[in-house]
Amino acid sequence: MSGLKATRPGLIALSIWGIVTGVAMVKSGLTEHASIAMSLLVYAGSAQLTSLPLIAAGAPLWLIFAIGCIVNLRFLIFGAALHPFFQSMSWPKRLLLGYLTVDITFVAFMPKFADSHNKGSTEQRWFYLASAVSCWIVWQLTSLIGIALGSIVPASWSLGFSAILALLAMVLPLIKTRPMMISVFAAGATAWLGQPLPMKLGLLLAVIAGIASGMWAEHVVKNGGKGTA
Amino acid sequence: MSTLDNWYPYLAIVFVMVSVVLTRASYWLFGHLVPLPDNVRSALRYAPVAGLVAIIVPEIMPWEAGIGPVFDLKLIAALLSIVLFQVTRNAVVLIIGGTVALWILRTWLG
Repeated sequence: MSGLKATRPGLIALSIWGIVTGVAMVKSGLTEHASIAMSLLVYAGSAQLTSLPLIAAGAPLWLIFAIGCIVNLRFLIFGAALHPFFQSMSWPKRLLLGYLTVDITFVAFMPKFADSHNKGSTEQRWFYLASAVSCWIVWQLTSLIGIALGSIVPASWSLGFSAILALLAMVLPLIKTRPMMISVFAAGATAWLGQPLPMKLGLLLAVIAGIASGMWAEHVVKNGGKGTA
Repeated sequence: MSTLDNWYPYLAIVFVMVSVVLTRASYWLFGHLVPLPDNVRSALRYAPVAGLVAIIVPEIMPWEAGIGPVFDLKLIAALLSIVLFQVTRNAVVLIIGGTVALWILRTWLG
């Protein structure tokens, strides 16, 4: 049960997140039914919170889908790192474990097993499952609490804003390098200027600006000013 | 409200679910077939952050149709919460502090 122990510190943050997301779903105008369905089916704080303003604005479904993919792209990197540990399992099990992967489980698992020679041991898989399942249970319970709270608490408490702050709390620790700072600035400026564009197209432009400027800045830093103007 | 009560939110939820399953599980299922080159890896690092920023910015620095940029007290509250996070490095402090800040600002100035 070392998987549970390693996951425990993350569960407190996850609880706050679950409550905030639960409240945000109700406050954005989703019915309690829809909120519960979203919590059970989607099970992804950042994807849920980013989709809420879009759903409230009646954005086209393809855009909601695209943004859901974009904010979850980090899981491709997680998946690439985790792949060696689970590749010999059957595909339904891999599909399930992959779907249950959240940041906290990845962060608990990798430092412990990244350097182990025997990748894919029973111990590692039980550790992963214990961590993933405990995150799932805590998330669903706290989301339910949030959904219940959301129906009681008045709008004047501005708890919908807490959801935006939760996203902010996710972004800030990731801004560690200068290229990332430049990427965030470019994405933010584009998103601000792009607001009058139809169908929330400014959102996609902002993502493109963020990726392009980040990669450009990385390239410049790597070359250390050698020859680049 | 009438559109929100019908099929649209449920369809949207299914679309978000598919996006989550695709991104989370695809590498678990097909990772042995697709290598991840370095430049793709670096693009994948910037995309989620840019996506989150693109959602946050219009919420705290909104434009109104036909008017252009408008000031919202959420901007002040968000800046305060960033300062709180830089001092404490604690996400919970950021969320609660920023929410309370907006609440106070709206009560006094709103």
